[in-house]
Parts: sequence; structure tokens; C-alpha cells
Amino acid sequence: MKDSRSLDVLIIDDEPTRAEALFDALNALGHKVVCHLSDSRRLCDQVSELSPDMVIIDMDSPNRDTLESMAAMSRSNPRPIVFFAEKADDRESISAAISAGVSAYVADGLQTDRVKAIMDTAIAQFDAYHSLRTELEKTKSQLSERKVVEKAKGMLMKHQGCDEEQAYKTLRKLAMDRSQKLVEVAQSVIDILELTTLPNAGKR
Amino acid sequence: MSIATPEKTALKLGFVPLLDCAPLVIAREKGFFEAEGLNVVLSRESNWANIRDKVSFGLLDGAQMLSPMPLAATLGLGSQTTPMVTALALSMNGNAVTLSAELYRALSPQLRDRPNPAEVGNALKQWIGTLRTKPVFATVYPYSCQHYQLRYWLTASGINPDDDVTLIAVPPTQMISTMRDHMIDGYCAGEPWNSLAQQCGEGRVALTGYQIWPDSIEKVFGVTQRWADAHPHTHAALIRALVNACEWLSFSDNHPEALELLKLPPYLDQSAIPLGHTDTVLPIMQSFFGPGVNCPSLSHAHLMLEQMERWGQWSGGDRDQIARQVYRHDIYSNALGLDRLSQHA
Repeated sequence: MKDSRSLDVLIIDDEPTRAEALFDALNALGHKVVCHLSDSRRLCDQVSELSPDMVIIDMDSPNRDTLESMAAMSRSNPRPIVFFAEKADDRESISAAISAGVSAYVADGLQTDRVKAIMDTAIAQFDAYHSLRTELEKTKSQLSERKVVEKAKGMLMKHQGCDEEQAYKTLRKLAMDRSQKLVEVAQSVIDILELTTLPNAGKR
Repeated sequence: MSIATPEKTALKLGFVPLLDCAPLVIAREKGFFEAEGLNVVLSRESNWANIRDKVSFGLLDGAQMLSPMPLAATLGLGSQTTPMVTALALSMNGNAVTLSAELYRALSPQLRDRPNPAEVGNALKQWIGTLRTKPVFATVYPYSCQHYQLRYWLTASGINPDDDVTLIAVPPTQMISTMRDHMIDGYCAGEPWNSLAQQCGEGRVALTGYQIWPDSIEKVFGVTQRWADAHPHTHAALIRALVNACEWLSFSDNHPEALELLKLPPYLDQSAIPLGHTDTVLPIMQSFFGPGVNCPSLSHAHLMLEQMERWGQWSGGDRDQIARQVYRHDIYSNALGLDRLSQHA
């Protein structure tokens, strides 16, 4: 018999450092945690096999739609998974989650206080990782890689009229969609934007 | 025509990198937003759930949405309930069912040169009868025309979508590689993912959404009800800018330039590059502009609600009331200064 307070939690995150930190934090809370990185193709099978009480997923993962589909096609899934928001009834904590870039799906009928504690931990870990990442970027030893990423960010900011944070997120999303390294994506962004006759784009 | 100062001019709109994000990209790159006094940042989103959540919670002002999405959000299907509206359809058609090259070969002895959906369905049904395992089909998102069209076609072919096949979900960017690895036998998705599969030889476009439901609204521009109420002039300005972009896209002379602009990061980037020399045999018929394309018609809202009910996503209710609450052709007409159109019901 498993402890009534212990939940089976599945973490889906492509950032190993962050996933590991969250894994440790939730383990310390007494939950049984499984991490799932990158390869989304076994995701459906894995969710069916593990039948987790809760799934925590990076908002920017393309696999969010996969999870939502599984929940909607619940006839083949014994455990319906619903968006955290529906049960928590707490717009503020959902906003905090969205800002931190974390979303979660919980099995029907779970007590919200236990879910809330896990959610707060996840938000804290995602926020902490965000600060850590900013630090890491600054001190990163591969200066040439950093320069490429910085240049791509700058070009995107100029072309898209967006801020640095969004430019970084854009690069990251491109990297996830293409399953490439950030620096490779950054280089191709530079190549394409340099080829484009920038003075004419964006204006009529 | 109501041309008044927009309540808000700095806007953030979301898009998903599919070919039908083109109206948003063109409105920005060709200055149609600017001409309406709007300063728009476009945010690439990796999944539809993010589009819904970020619009619901005000992180995005509005977004390209799957046409059932504002209805599903208003009904609270698969998420918390957030009343949403759409006053503009961005595109019509654009989906197709792609089968793996292997499956298509297996069916081909029974298929004519350009088979219709019934013939493909028939051949598939017979093929399923010879198998021990169920074939696996993928779609991207449960509240989408793609998902409904796949189910509709399978059912019409005498194939039970819940029992005779396995339906799974796969992100569009991973469809082709998932098929290459024999994990799925086919999928229904939007462009460019069908043409691209055919070009790289991994799959064959077997039938199109247009053949299942001709002239069906595919993507809409969606905002929350609350946002629409608070920003009527900005909303109208956005609709005008996007309709101008849709019209620009309708001229074939502009297509090479449109493709060049879509290749820019963060839009379609690499996935648009091979599209320059596409020759699709079957009619995908994606369109952005024309009579009946851009007005959010009530009949489409009804069709979507019907599908939600038919496939057990929604327990049912007053369809007409919900359709009228969410699909706002009155806002569309006012924004464009059109006289009250005959109701597109």
C-alpha cells in the first residue's frame, strides 16, 4: 500500500538540470517521481504504463498537446487527466505557473492541497532555474557559442521588435521543434536573417 | 465604419508555425498592422494548449486558433472555462490525411490514380480486416478540424475510430519522423506537414480535408470575451489589418514573397523552405481570402459543436446560443464597415 500522501509524478522537461532539481525536491516531499526527457514518441505508452497521478510539463514542450489529446481520448486511458486549473480554482497560482512556464495535469479526484504543494514546488524550481540559467549564460566558458546566441538574439530582437527574453524563448522553441542545439539554431537564424534584405522587410 | 483610436496599440499575438499563420506574418511584415496604428509582436508558440492558456490569462492579446478552440474554451472542454470570441476566420481548408508510403503501397492495388476518400476508406477497411494489430493514426489536438475530419472519414468508411484503429497524438513537427520510425501509419494534419511528407517520400497525401468538408473554416483569430469588450476599437483595427493581409495573400503574384517572409525565423523557418516547388495532386485548397472565407459563419460553429457532441467531448446544450456568443460576424461586419450581412447561418 502506498502512503496516502505520496503521489506518482511524471516530469516532462528537456532541461536536465531543472528536471533533476525538481525530481529531488519532489522526492524530498515523499513523492514517487519519474522523469521523461526529450523523446516524445514513447510518451503515450509511458503515460499509459505509469498511469501517474500528476504530470508536470514545461509549457513550451510540443508534448502538451499530446497530453491534452490523451485526456480527451480518455476511453483508451483509464486515468483521465485534467488541467490543473479546473480543480484548483485559483487564477493567481495558475498565472504564476504560466509565468514560470510550467503546466500540470492531474488525475481526476485528487485532493487539491497535495496538488497545490507540488505545483508550488514546481513553480519555485522553474523560477530558480530561470535565474540560474541567466547566471550560467553569463559565465559560460564556450564564449564563441555564447557570441553566436547573443548575435542571433540581437538580430531577432531587431527584426521582431521583441525584448531579449522573448528572443531567447524563440530560439529555444526553434531548438525544441528541430531537436537541435541552441547554438545551431542561432547560427541558422543569423544565416537566414543576414540573407534577407532587412531594410525592406517589415516595411511596405 | 468605426475608425476610432485603438484603446491599446502595443500588442502581443500568438501563432503556431503552420502555413496558415501567414495572415499574421504578412500583416506584420508588410506593415498592415502598422497602417492601423498597431505595434504587434508575434510570439511563436509550441503547442495549442499554450495559445489557449496565454490568451485566457492575458499573456497574449489574441492568437491564431484552431476554429473549434474558442468554442471549447467557452464551454470549458479540456481546460478551465474562459469565454472567448472570434470575429475573423483566417483560413479555409488546408488539412490532409497522409498515409505512410508503405501503407499507401499496400492499398494501391485497389486504388485508382486519384482515388476519392470513399475508395481510400474502403481499401483501408479491407486492409484492417487482414491485420492482427490495429493501425495507428495520429492527430495533433483533440479540439481541431483535423481530429474531427479524421474521425468523420473513418466512420463514413465503416471504420470505428475508437475500436478499429488506435488514435494517438503527435506534435506536427514530429509527424514525419514518427511515421518514418513505423510508429504511426498515417495522420491528419495541417500544411505544410502533408506536402513535406510527400516530398521527402515518407508518405502520400491520400485525401484532403477539403474532400471531407469542402470550404471549412480552419483557423480563426481568437480573443477572450473580456478582451473584446475592453478593446473594441483595437479589435476592429486588428480585423482590418488581418483582412488586408489575407487579401494580399490571395494574389498569386505575391506568393513568392510570402514564402520568403514565412521562411524568416521565428515563423515557419526550415519547414517552409521546400514548399517553393510543391505540386500537390489532390485539392488541399487552402485559402485566406474570398467570399465567405473571412466571416466567422454560424454554420461552421454549429458543425464544430455537433462534432464535439458526436465524439463525446461535450455533453450538449443550446448550440445556437453558444454559436452566436462565440462566432461574432457582427463584430467582423462592423470592423469592415459592411452593411449588415445576411446571416451566414
